[in-house]
Amino acid sequence: MLKLEPVIWGLFSGGMMIGGILLPVYILVVALGGGFGVVDGQALGYDRVFALATNPIGSLVLVAAAALPLWGGAHHLRHLWIDFGGLKSDGLVGGLFYGAALVGSVYAVLAVLRLHG
Amino acid sequence: MSEVKKTIVVTRFDPDKDEVPKTQSYEIPVQDDWKVLEALNYIKDNVDPTLSHRWSCRMAVCGSCGMNVNGEPKLTCKDPISSYGDTIEVAPLANFPVVRDLVVELEGFMDKFKAVKPWIIAAKERAAEEGTHRQSPDELADFKSFSMCINCMLCYSACPVVSNEPDFLGPAALALGHRYNQDSRDEGADERNEIFRDEGGIFSCSYANECTEVCPKGVNPSGAIQQAKLNNVVDWAKSFVVPRRKSS
Repeated sequence: MLKLEPVIWGLFSGGMMIGGILLPVYILVVALGGGFGVVDGQALGYDRVFALATNPIGSLVLVAAAALPLWGGAHHLRHLWIDFGGLKSDGLVGGLFYGAALVGSVYAVLAVLRLHG
Repeated sequence: MSEVKKTIVVTRFDPDKDEVPKTQSYEIPVQDDWKVLEALNYIKDNVDPTLSHRWSCRMAVCGSCGMNVNGEPKLTCKDPISSYGDTIEVAPLANFPVVRDLVVELEGFMDKFKAVKPWIIAAKERAAEEGTHRQSPDELADFKSFSMCINCMLCYSACPVVSNEPDFLGPAALALGHRYNQDSRDEGADERNEIFRDEGGIFSCSYANECTEVCPKGVNPSGAIQQAKLNNVVDWAKSFVVPRRKSS
């Protein structure tokens, strides 16, 4: 796992950035802003959102928003496991957590690709 | 200067007699402006000459007098006695083997320092005729704060990862390695990054930030380690585009 640490940490830090900073703002704007009428409901209409999601950059953002926080969570869980004395089984347990994040990431890519028909 | 009595509860350990450490209480007169170290020196000089503790400069420069005060790693020459109540517990730094009383064994810690090659590595030595090496204020700022470490070991003692993973190089050594990586005169980053990425290196750090909290010199070791992680991610990504230089 050591050889992969830089890439895992990169995915983790990206995930924490998105999950910790960007997603709350997204939820604030879309869920609360839309619900309370602060944001124009038409702006969040199906056609506009679909166009955004199928735009290449929009699709990339969607994949990142769905997949990266999974790596953030997996990395946190792995370190929690180590903190609780699981260093000896780090390879196995870390592999399981990261494996789950990988499965979720592949699924996110497939789900976004499906939007493109 | 008002004088009050305080009880100093000191952890004692004599390797020739004791199986496990025990505590001993000393009720002594203290002055408001004393630091914790002065209370220990008072005990040593006036009450119990068998007490062993390390200290030297008394002005937060030498880094010798780090101890656990009420459970927190402190530089005792800088730690005002007035910030505590009537009872103060003084114990040796955690994460170190104890030699005697409050004196800890430094060898393992110092070996970890050497592991990160904390010196300037240059491909060829600069000749005297070439003059001094010029460095801009910005280049100096890249590493200056990380070079303020006095090796007091408080960060190492506070680090939860060190206590959990004995092979972890620890905040002090990693911050010092990063300090040389950031130095514009240095060319050894590739060598150090290999050590950084290895077992017990930067990626074992879970960013608890305790090291930075306890540092008496404002070094910010956890910041150094996070910067080093980011540099290594960029380095890893670059390795796909540019072939990595062979480290000598």
